[in-house]
Amino acid sequence: MASLPARPPVGLPPLPPGWTEHKAPSGHTYYYNKETKKSTYTRPVPNVRSFHDSAAAPPPPPPAPPGANANFDLFSPFSTQNSFVPNVQQHNFQLGAPIQQQFQHGAPPQQQFQRGGHHARGSFRGNHNFPSRKREPEDRPKHRHDIPGCAPWVLVKTKLGRRFVWNKETNESFWKFPPDVMKGVVEFDRVERDKRERRERGELSEDEDNLVAEIEAELAVAEEETEAQIVEVEGEEGMGDEEEYEEIEVTDDEGEGVEHPSKRQRTEEPLEEQGDQPMEMGEDDMAWQLAAMEEQYAEEDEEEGMPLTEEDCKALFKELLDDTRTNPYSPWDKVLEEGMLFDDERYKALPTMKARKDCFDEWSRDKVVFLKEQKTKQQKLDPRIPYLAFLHRYATPKLYWPEFRRKFKKEPEMKDMKLPEKDKEKLYRDHIKRLGMKQPELKSDLSALLKSQPLTSLNRSTTLDTLPTSILADVRYISLPASIRDVLIETYISTLSPAPGGIAASAEEEAEAAKRRAEKERREKALAERERRVREDKRRQERELAFGKGRLRDEEMEIERAMKFGKGGLRGQLGSVDREDETPQESEGE
Amino acid sequence: MPPIRTAARSKKPPPDGFEDIEDTLLEFANKMKDAENAPHDGKKKYEMLWPIFQITHQRSRYIYDLYYEKEAISKQLYDWLLKNGYADAMLIAKWKKQGYEKLCCTRCIQTKETNFRSTCICRVPKAQLSEGQDVQCVNCGCRGCSSGD
Repeated sequence: MASLPARPPVGLPPLPPGWTEHKAPSGHTYYYNKETKKSTYTRPVPNVRSFHDSAAAPPPPPPAPPGANANFDLFSPFSTQNSFVPNVQQHNFQLGAPIQQQFQHGAPPQQQFQRGGHHARGSFRGNHNFPSRKREPEDRPKHRHDIPGCAPWVLVKTKLGRRFVWNKETNESFWKFPPDVMKGVVEFDRVERDKRERRERGELSEDEDNLVAEIEAELAVAEEETEAQIVEVEGEEGMGDEEEYEEIEVTDDEGEGVEHPSKRQRTEEPLEEQGDQPMEMGEDDMAWQLAAMEEQYAEEDEEEGMPLTEEDCKALFKELLDDTRTNPYSPWDKVLEEGMLFDDERYKALPTMKARKDCFDEWSRDKVVFLKEQKTKQQKLDPRIPYLAFLHRYATPKLYWPEFRRKFKKEPEMKDMKLPEKDKEKLYRDHIKRLGMKQPELKSDLSALLKSQPLTSLNRSTTLDTLPTSILADVRYISLPASIRDVLIETYISTLSPAPGGIAASAEEEAEAAKRRAEKERREKALAERERRVREDKRRQERELAFGKGRLRDEEMEIERAMKFGKGGLRGQLGSVDREDETPQESEGE
Repeated sequence: MPPIRTAARSKKPPPDGFEDIEDTLLEFANKMKDAENAPHDGKKKYEMLWPIFQITHQRSRYIYDLYYEKEAISKQLYDWLLKNGYADAMLIAKWKKQGYEKLCCTRCIQTKETNFRSTCICRVPKAQLSEGQDVQCVNCGCRGCSSGD
């Protein structure tokens, strides 16, 4: 926008010195005075001093009303240098009732809900010639105070610190305080200020300025009341461009201003606007804001309606317990102390701590039952097996039992109380004694152990990993070093007959085995077949090779014979032919 | 001389299911050790015992809950725990009685030890105490263990 040349439109009187013409993003033309840093929509006339006068209407500007706005700058709590009041009054003039501007300044809220599309976006920052397009932070009602003395009216403070009044009963809201309410607000402010002063001495807060502004505004109202009466304008349908700048009285029940919701955000720096551009606020906007505010209050007071049933909540909480791998045996206090639960949303599914505890109890009860069932399903491991494996690794004849025990007392196998200490000692002594024996003896012992196993537990289908417990838990099993022992066991297993069908293997297992056997047979057969074929091929090849060699030799002999033709010439040749007549017979005879 | 009977030698293995609760019990044991070794500066003589009572109560309640409420441990294990002093059998016996469901310690219902043959202040229901009266009994630091609270 800054690039636009400031050139006066034709047919208009020239601007006074210092003023330049610009165009706002909304398309309106405005004028800016570099020296005073003022800007206005109305075309300044050389003679007119005060820019206040110019605060009239935009493009089709009616003559600026004199005396319309004596002192609003004083009231503006955000006294920006270029406080710029475009067309505040225009509507009022059209209605023939100039409105008290003080209020627009005293009560800054006017801007907060303006929609960017409607109002002139070009207000100016102090130092720039062009309008900024900064986004305005969204405003929304924040605090609500009852106004003393005016029962249904409520003073609402927004996030940006602007205020408006709202009638709870009629659901009307005004940025501009009605006079009767005004008194209440002033009273309220005074009380507030007193309170604050008492709290933090010496700090002149902005609010106080506000208050001063408001008091002055009130005074001004009184002054102006003679000529200007307050008109409350209900939002009208189809307001034109100009009426966007009208100052507003908004009731909530009218559906105007839905038009450009998307453009809403496009406004300037909030500070500037405060008090500068009184803008209309859509009724929908207001209604929405108020509704939001109501909601907020409602949420504070009452519990929000739960969409979930109680079972759902419990299930959610139990899921959470499952997911965090909580130990069902640990007490509830400890679970809480661990603090794993708090982070999750599902923790809040249940409203009270008591409900959570109950839910936890229920869950842990079920979980414990489940765990017990699982444990019974697993067969018990003989405690001797890990212990013997441990002995196999660490036991040496160099250590007596007490030494060994002391050395390895930290090991879980040694600490295991399932196996009594006596047994441990006995096993250790046996093992050490056997370590001193000769290998053939140990081997025969092992084979005796293997042979003693029934065919059901030890047969051809067992592997080293699936040896029966009776072998693993025997001290004879660990006497030999693993390399020798494993080979021995494997060879023994391979000599065994397959497991007796009816007893050990169930029907489907058998079917499986049969299938595997058939498969194996087929594979073996196929393999034999292939070998046979390969052998045949080889033989044939050899024969062919021999045959080819013979032929090659014959041919060579023939060539040799042909080469024998010397210088004898034809005669010799013929002679040889004559001879050849005999030679074939000879050669055949050879 | 007979061989010295170490704990490991005389110890019978605990019944099944002890592994499940072993960690929690160990934690209680550690807490108890800490409480026993805590510094006593600036504390009243009787105050020193409060954490001990508290931990004993917690551990007994834990085992009580596991056996009676959740039924998570077997009878054998429960008996073994009681025998080995993991829980206070006398306290649990009181908890089974109506009106004593939350009893803090057996000492607090011992009327013979008090001047007026009454129970401890912590046994008084909150409703019967005067408004805003904050009690903490001398015996175990209990702030109120009446069943109705």
